[in-house]
Amino acid sequence: MTDATRETYFISDDDLRALAGDLLSAGTEVIAPVAVDVCASPSAIASSACLRPGVAPVDIEYRALADAAELDLSRGLPVLSLKQYFLPGHEALCCWRQHGTEVEIEAVPTTFAPRVVLAAKSCDSAALAIVDKVMNWDYQDELWNGRREATTIVNLACPVVDESCFCTAVGTAPDDVKGADALLTPVEGGYLMEATTDKGRVLMEAHGARFKAETDTHGAKHRGRQAAEERAAARARVAANLEIDAESVREWIDAHFEDPLLAALGVRCNGCGACSSVCPTCHCFDIVDEEEGIGKGTRRRCWDTCQAPTFTLHASGHNPRDDQHSRYRQRINHKFAIYPLKFGEVLCTGCGRCTRACHAGQDLVEILQAIDIAARRPDAAAAAVAGAEPAGS
Amino acid sequence: MSEVREVARKLLTDGTVRVIVGWEDARRGARPVFVTDPADTERLIFDTRCVHNLVTYLNPRRDNVAELGKIGLVVKGCDAKAVAGLLREAQLTRDDVVLIGVRCGGVLEEAELPKAASLSPENVAPRCYGCDNREPELVDHLLGESQPEPPRPVMTIDERVAALDAQPLEERWAFWTEQFSKCVRCYACRQVCPLCVCERCVAEKSRPQWIEAPPHPRGNLSWNITRALHLAGRCVDCGECERFCPVGIPLSLVNRKLQHIVAERYGYTVSDDPESPAPIGDYRLDDKQEFIK
Repeated sequence: MTDATRETYFISDDDLRALAGDLLSAGTEVIAPVAVDVCASPSAIASSACLRPGVAPVDIEYRALADAAELDLSRGLPVLSLKQYFLPGHEALCCWRQHGTEVEIEAVPTTFAPRVVLAAKSCDSAALAIVDKVMNWDYQDELWNGRREATTIVNLACPVVDESCFCTAVGTAPDDVKGADALLTPVEGGYLMEATTDKGRVLMEAHGARFKAETDTHGAKHRGRQAAEERAAARARVAANLEIDAESVREWIDAHFEDPLLAALGVRCNGCGACSSVCPTCHCFDIVDEEEGIGKGTRRRCWDTCQAPTFTLHASGHNPRDDQHSRYRQRINHKFAIYPLKFGEVLCTGCGRCTRACHAGQDLVEILQAIDIAARRPDAAAAAVAGAEPAGS
Repeated sequence: MSEVREVARKLLTDGTVRVIVGWEDARRGARPVFVTDPADTERLIFDTRCVHNLVTYLNPRRDNVAELGKIGLVVKGCDAKAVAGLLREAQLTRDDVVLIGVRCGGVLEEAELPKAASLSPENVAPRCYGCDNREPELVDHLLGESQPEPPRPVMTIDERVAALDAQPLEERWAFWTEQFSKCVRCYACRQVCPLCVCERCVAEKSRPQWIEAPPHPRGNLSWNITRALHLAGRCVDCGECERFCPVGIPLSLVNRKLQHIVAERYGYTVSDDPESPAPIGDYRLDDKQEFIK
């Protein structure tokens, strides 16, 4: 992809919403951030926050739009990542039915109707491109690939959510287009949109009337500058949260399996796996057979987590990772050493969801910072342990 | 709070305990801390952000905590009830732990705040309303000033349970179906519960598979009902299951409803007295048995 093919177009707020409407009218599924009113009936009583006077709380969630008006362009972070639309929480792999000694297998469809994701976060689209590698490493995962091929993803440049964001520290950025097909950047009155893949260009051409080419006018130059400034400012904001040398971190982890900084991280951790559930790159799954009556049933896969003891429990009763220290080390090791060694990429996009979801205070930003210090300045390793190792000693 | 630091320093210095489990101020707010060096006791805090029930770290499943050595644990009154629960069920002996009790006038709903705030109807953890254990009795050291009653939240948990109870069955069903549909089956509710002590949870049994693993409506309903019933008459209402739930299922409403039923049928309320037998481990001739037909 050369810059020459990354032509930029302007789309107004109204036209962007109309674009979502056009897609929906044509029967295309559109997945986008939606501000879910957590206090809508009948759920209001569920949250004490809903009972307070003042601004009603909302959760932002990626949802299949029922109406273009639902599209939320506030640029907040959805609670769950985009992963659920490519690797659902559970899905059927096949169904079976027994006829005497014969077993009839009914396959599930592996092709999917075209769909569009609008206003995705770069940390979520980048995660898909990273996970593509393991999904095509040996076995080609048809369900994952089928959904990936059927989906056109349009990112919306992120303003950076809070102090737990660290995308630039792990090789992506708030305005990255990795894993996506086009990028929107907010400017006065609307957005600049550029397609970066053929899928993105096809989408823009099909809806050409909604876009205006940014020709060499004063207004276009102004918007171009505005977008560039916006994107640079967001990058600077997130870089201030965390800067690490991912390559040194990988080497350090690989060489320090038994180091207290890495081997004693589990004391505070409850081993709940909420971090894996909200993580855009955690992709491990379990396969279960569910009988539905006699002689028939469904084989399903569902999310699993390396933080659960049963993840590695052998049939013999032996468990190679039988304590939380070793399970938490695995999480760090897999993301920042094993995956980069095998696939050349860190299995983390710095979205910070794991840190925000952890009410026990397990903080990936702090842990990476400590490992980075140890990796860059071996003499400071002891100090880093004292500062960040949860045993506090 | 200087008193907590002083007691913690003394206990570590004289070797009474090997680790103090308390709270510290971290990058994102208050969080649990494990202090083994007397010099690090300066990290200990106690304020309205100290929401966590640290008794979960006494749970026999937590071998990484146990291996640090004898524990000195900082507890609020509600937390002390969970210690009593572990003692009652023989999961702990009283000499295994030194309890540093703090007088508590309620905590905030959120721990991840840069600074402590004084409590108001808008920010108080709803479970604190009507607290009957602001000065825990089960402890070895009781610290801090006497505290006022926590404020009444905008709507109490009991009022919310009553509002749900007043709805027709279909609406209640719709409410819980929607809530449980959010469950991703991470089991955070179980993992953080100080009283979920089973070495192997029924949810992990696959032969037979009592509870279906996928997060579909059937599996989610089985899991959430089973979890609630296993805690009936045992739950101390610390609210950690709800606070840790990444998708916001209001588990405290389920737990409170079960407390009401246990109170009504067995005349039992969870306290920090480990000698009071819980209904699940107690049989009385006058136990209600009209369901046996």
